Amino acid sequence: MEGAQPVPDGLVLTRYQGAPGLTTLDGYRKVGGYRGLARALEMGPEAIVAEVKASGLRGRGGAAFPTGTKWGFLPQGVFPRYLAVNADESEPGCFKDRVLIEEYPHQLLEGVLITAFALQASHAFIYIRGEYRKQRELLEAVVREAYRAKLVGKRILGSDFGCEVVVHGGAGAYICGEETALLDSLEGRRGQPRLKPPFPAVKGLYGQPTVVNNVETLSNLPYIVTEGGAAYAALGTEASPGTRLFCVSGHVERPGTFEVPMGRTTFRDLLELAGGVWRGRKFKAMQPGGGSMQVLGPQHLDVPLDFKAVADAGSSLGAGALVVMDETTCMVEVSRRLVDFYRHESCGKCVPCREGTYFESQLMHRLEEGSASAEELASLADICAGMDGRCFCPLGDTATWFVMSAYRMFKDEFDAHVGAGHCPVRAGVGAAA
Amino acid sequence: MGEASAHPDLVRVTVDDREVEVAPGTLVWDACERAGVFVPVYCAHKKLEPVAVCRMCLVEVEGMPKLQPACATRVADGMKVRTLTEQVRKFRDSNLEFLLLNHPLDCPVCDRGGECDLQDFTQRFGPGRSRQSIQQKVHFDKAIPLSDKIVLDQERCILCWRCVRYYEEVTGEREIVLQQRGVHTVVDTFERQPLRSQFQGNLPEICPVGALTHAKYRFRARPWDLRRTASICSHCSYGCNLFIDARDDQIARYASSDNEDVEDSWLCDRGRYSFPEYNGRERVTAPEAVVTGGRQVVSHREAVARAAGQLLRIISDRGPEAVAVVGSDLMTNEEAFVLQWLAREVIGTPHLDHRLRPTPHLDPADFELSIAGIEECDLILVLGEEPERLAPVLTLRLHKAATKRGRRVERLQPPYAWTEVAQPQRVGVISSELDRDAGAAIRDQLRGAGHTAQLLTIMERVNSRGCQDMGLLPGWLPGYLAAPQAGMGLPEILQSSATGKLKALLIVNPSAELEAAPEFEAALRGVEAAVVVTPHPGAASRGASVLIPGRTIVEKAGTVTNAEGRVQRVRAAIEPSLTVPTDLRTLGELAEALGTSLGVSPMATPVYEKLAAAVPAYRGAQAGMRARWGSGG
Ligand SMILES: Cc1cc2nc3c(=O)[nH]c(=O)nc-3n(C[C@H](O)[C@H](O)[C@H](O)COP(=O)(O)O)c2cc1C
Ligand code: SF4
Ligand code: SF4
Ligand code: SF4
Ligand code: FES
Repeated sequence: MEGAQPVPDGLVLTRYQGAPGLTTLDGYRKVGGYRGLARALEMGPEAIVAEVKASGLRGRGGAAFPTGTKWGFLPQGVFPRYLAVNADESEPGCFKDRVLIEEYPHQLLEGVLITAFALQASHAFIYIRGEYRKQRELLEAVVREAYRAKLVGKRILGSDFGCEVVVHGGAGAYICGEETALLDSLEGRRGQPRLKPPFPAVKGLYGQPTVVNNVETLSNLPYIVTEGGAAYAALGTEASPGTRLFCVSGHVERPGTFEVPMGRTTFRDLLELAGGVWRGRKFKAMQPGGGSMQVLGPQHLDVPLDFKAVADAGSSLGAGALVVMDETTCMVEVSRRLVDFYRHESCGKCVPCREGTYFESQLMHRLEEGSASAEELASLADICAGMDGRCFCPLGDTATWFVMSAYRMFKDEFDAHVGAGHCPVRAGVGAAA
Repeated sequence: MGEASAHPDLVRVTVDDREVEVAPGTLVWDACERAGVFVPVYCAHKKLEPVAVCRMCLVEVEGMPKLQPACATRVADGMKVRTLTEQVRKFRDSNLEFLLLNHPLDCPVCDRGGECDLQDFTQRFGPGRSRQSIQQKVHFDKAIPLSDKIVLDQERCILCWRCVRYYEEVTGEREIVLQQRGVHTVVDTFERQPLRSQFQGNLPEICPVGALTHAKYRFRARPWDLRRTASICSHCSYGCNLFIDARDDQIARYASSDNEDVEDSWLCDRGRYSFPEYNGRERVTAPEAVVTGGRQVVSHREAVARAAGQLLRIISDRGPEAVAVVGSDLMTNEEAFVLQWLAREVIGTPHLDHRLRPTPHLDPADFELSIAGIEECDLILVLGEEPERLAPVLTLRLHKAATKRGRRVERLQPPYAWTEVAQPQRVGVISSELDRDAGAAIRDQLRGAGHTAQLLTIMERVNSRGCQDMGLLPGWLPGYLAAPQAGMGLPEILQSSATGKLKALLIVNPSAELEAAPEFEAALRGVEAAVVVTPHPGAASRGASVLIPGRTIVEKAGTVTNAEGRVQRVRAAIEPSLTVPTDLRTLGELAEALGTSLGVSPMATPVYEKLAAAVPAYRGAQAGMRARWGSGG
């Protein structure tokens, strides 16, 4: 793992960093791996759920839903139940799940097994992004190894509990990270979100109760089980407990993933861990949370990585990414690129997203080229209003968030593109150089 | 609606300040309809599960921050729904703008123009302008023949998923799929394989726009060119309700109606696309009679007089039993009733029939089970392939019973037997007439074992049931009463005619089957007089001594009775191009000329009253109800 060790103590996800052979069972066992699983089997499902509730762990897939609460939605006495592990990681700027799989695959598997036991799930499906081929092969090898060691399959570690683990590769669609689209894709259907209710906890995979959790969420489980929920929570603050693995990228000297305590760390701390803005340039803007979230400016650098504080600033921690933009960045261009991403990734199920992202994208292309009129630019807000909160799933809603926040924060820059015939920001950068 | 206290099981919902009470779990969309508030929908369809993809129906629900899809949201007690707020109005405008972004400017050449939900809602709720230039439209394939029946225009498709869901939910065949994603999404068949379903014709009807159209209706008409008549499909004994849309006395198309008790709004392709047979087929154009030296065109009045004269001569020379009367199951109940009356009461012969196959046994218990009742059975036994071959729409009802109602459907192969039912259950047994005895045996055996079992016998043609009910049979009077004297059935009538034992035939609306039978020509040659009333030329018209033009079933009014005994109305959808009296009038005039008056005007309604007096089960059944045969029916 690259980067300095940010918090020598108080690491959870990356606590074994640097240990040799972590991708093998032996290597992982040497650092104490699978002790959590053994402990979990002794504790029993209810005690595990209690620890997870005490840990205050919230989902790391983007929606930050309290994990213990989600598990509690499973209807009593309905079996079989399934666990789906969301490794589809396709959010622009997000690559933490990849690191957790590449560096700590057994830790993930241990977390999966603990969770499956806590839920009494008979099968766990790890749905991994199609482009993560090497990572998929690694996970498959890890699962095979664990099967041989009787860590997976029937009578795990000699207990009465059995669980099959299946690794399944996606086919390259961002939408398949949305939990219900993931389930449809797993079932061999077109990957598109399902109508809710029923929620997956009630009627999920193959119509059975199903919990969907993110890779990072579950990678915390071995720690929570061995060290206790309270110890985990204490690493962060009361409102934002625990730690998180943030992906810092963009115009920084040392992009990478950094595990930091929640609530006590600020965006500026993260930026510094990544070596600050590159090439000695000035900071212009940042996007926390990945491609879906609203832009923040220099005035927000000292906001702590706390759910509420970031929400008050007008954005969200989303999937735990931070994309940094320096002074040469054209906010219209960034907006256009993100809008193109959503147009490309819209599943096409609902009208406002399917047609709205296309409309948005056409407009942003014209604006970037400097050929859009003031009237056209003015219609951007209308288009976005027709999409935000109106779509079938959050993809279409969030396709408007960055561009609208950038338009508000950098209105002059957007306006300067109108009828300019070219991009004024890039022209300005050229002149200055 | 009224005081809440009167309906403790209902919940109160307010839609735009109108209060309604509906059952818990009702969709907001349905509650709005109940309140008389129109909500535009594209993806929602009464017969399909909600998917909420088009977003057209988003409305405000008090207490919910986001607009909610009326088509997929269930009511809660005290819910306040608003459909006319600024927020809703603005969104509808936006959504229609989105839908039109990549929609072609095809209305003038689109078959759907004038009855298109996209046109209509745009007119009513949409933007008056477009903010995107047509150069930016995404283009797709147009005029793709998905089969010889259905044409797809991918550009006009608004991706409401109805066609895909129709296949998934209603037929279970999955012939249309979604491909690509985002703005490039299209519906198509997998690798452009042709559609094979026998229920394709429902697709253009559930499609809210002009994306799926009937090959046979392409460029044929605008809705305002059409005259619509509610009637019954004449192609089998299931009795599907439909609309006949005619333009200039040619049928342009059949359109589905929605009778939940019968077709449940779906038609089969055999029935739906059968209408061309009423457009182009050759007709008997004028009355003719054999006079000395050959056959001549005569007036209608003279034809009737000569027919009566020939029959009276034979009756007086040889006695009434030298005359036989033949109808067919394309006749209405009124015609069948009058024809058997004419045979029995006016002519005085027991020899009458309407089909070549003998009718061995008759019992109203053969059709105790209703079509809608199929869904209520725990177990449904279908004997062989014949019932579904005869009445294809039955297949959809069975699919619905199995998938939406969770019923067990078993298709049996001969030799038919069923023994395996544990707890007392409601069992439906469905057979064709051929297997009626086997069906009745299984039913009786199940009843003996304590189950509730009912039989439904599927018949062949549109009024096969009615002709039996009306006693157009040797040995059976109207209402399944045994006739005092058993007469000859059709095979015997033909034989006796050929050998000269019978001297005269009165033939009305002969079936295609009869027309094609070689023994029919021999029979016509063998008799001295053959009075024929028929719309189409054929063996009967060629062999007639008096020929009177008749009407086809889409040209007359009356009732027909379907396999389950439901009495339904057919109405004249087109007029024959030449003046042709109704068959009922011709029969009434013939009776008069033979010396007995019908006693009522020869029109459907008064004749129905007369027949209902003779067949009590038919009293009051005319409004589309099943005839009431004893306890079971
Ligand atoms: C368009 C879209 C894409 C998503 N992509 C991912 C993803 O790649 N990985 C992920 O874990 N969650 C993703 N989510 C969130 C999931 O729907 C779900 O909330 C999450 O997997 C739940 O796990 P958690 O509670 O552990 O966070 C996505 C959501 C949406 C709407
Ligand atoms: S918002 Fe609609 S079109 Fe977009 S991804 Fe979600 S369901 Fe698909
Ligand atoms: S589908 Fe409707 S809106 Fe589209 S071209 Fe046809 S008539 Fe016009
Ligand atoms: S073809 Fe018609 S029914 Fe099918 S999705 Fe398109 S608009 Fe809907
Ligand atoms: S009709 Fe409700 S979303 Fe389509």
